[in-house]
Amino acid sequence: MKHLLLKIEPLIWLLFGQGILLGTILLTGWILVVNLGVPLGLISDDGLAFQRAHELGSSLVGRLVLAALCALPLWKGAHHMRHVSIDSGGAGRDAVVAPLLYGVAALGSLLAIAAVIRL
Amino acid sequence: MAETLVKKFVVTRFDPDKDEAPRTESYEVPCHPDWKVLDALNHIKDEIDGSLAHRWSCRMSVCGSCGMNVNGQPTLTCKKAVSDLPDTVEVTPLANFPVVRDLVVELDGFMEKLKSVKPWIIRAKEKAVEEGPMRQSQAELEEFKQFSMCINCMLCYAACPVVANEPEFLGPAAIALGHRYSVDSRDEGAAERNEIFRGEGTVFACSYANECSEVCPKHVDPAAAVNQAKFNAVIDWAAGLVLPRGGKE
Repeated sequence: MKHLLLKIEPLIWLLFGQGILLGTILLTGWILVVNLGVPLGLISDDGLAFQRAHELGSSLVGRLVLAALCALPLWKGAHHMRHVSIDSGGAGRDAVVAPLLYGVAALGSLLAIAAVIRL
Repeated sequence: MAETLVKKFVVTRFDPDKDEAPRTESYEVPCHPDWKVLDALNHIKDEIDGSLAHRWSCRMSVCGSCGMNVNGQPTLTCKKAVSDLPDTVEVTPLANFPVVRDLVVELDGFMEKLKSVKPWIIRAKEKAVEEGPMRQSQAELEEFKQFSMCINCMLCYAACPVVANEPEFLGPAAIALGHRYSVDSRDEGAAERNEIFRGEGTVFACSYANECSEVCPKHVDPAAAVNQAKFNAVIDWAAGLVLPRGGKE
């Protein structure tokens, strides 16, 4: 397991890095707009009308962005939690913790991809 | 004459021939206000207890020999003024290294890691002397200059939480050293080093605590080197998947 984790580490780090980018920039912007801007009346909610949002989300680019927005932050979270586990003295249990966390991220990614395909 | 500062130095002592575990010994040291911690340790050795073992050489933050944990912080003892410290000063060997005796730690593992990243210019074909020097622009020099300022004092290893948990991790100084050569315009060995960076002591083990850069006495910023090395290792890995012959010439 340790050898396999070492082999796929660049891929995980790539997903983790992109998850940070999306998680900290795009999702923060999303939360600011939807959870603060619209309720406080600072931003018009016309753009969030179902028809418009559905058309945007179901275009090819929209589906890709939505899949990335759902999947990549899962890898960010999984990788962070793995390192918290290692840094708190859990190097010995990493062979169990890492596959579990990355497994959840992989499952979530598959569900996200399935969901955007069905949009 | 300036007034002396009397400080209590609590120093870790360990003699592998006599002690089963490290112990501490306290010394009252009359310090000159200009003294560094190393001056106080030398005073202890010269005037109070000649059996104390500690490593030092240049006394001017160049040789990197006198690194120790001072009040828990990895520190060059020749750089830390006693006047900046509280009345009680705890001096222990650098963390994350095996102890040889008292404040002296074992260097072998660290030296092996430095060597493992191939810290030299690698050329596919050596340039003949008659072809002249390999010139570099100022911008090319700036790419690696910062990372070449490391004095191998090992403070970054004592501060790194990953080194503490994963002894096989290459560690900040070794990765910064390898990266220093990989980004040198004269070097052609980046692919070899990227493989090493993805190997057993993987750079990806770094969790970016940034402690290495915090304690670096030469402001090398090894955390930046580690993260640039991660990025280069990933790009090289991805190129190997999609480009013919793994993107290699």
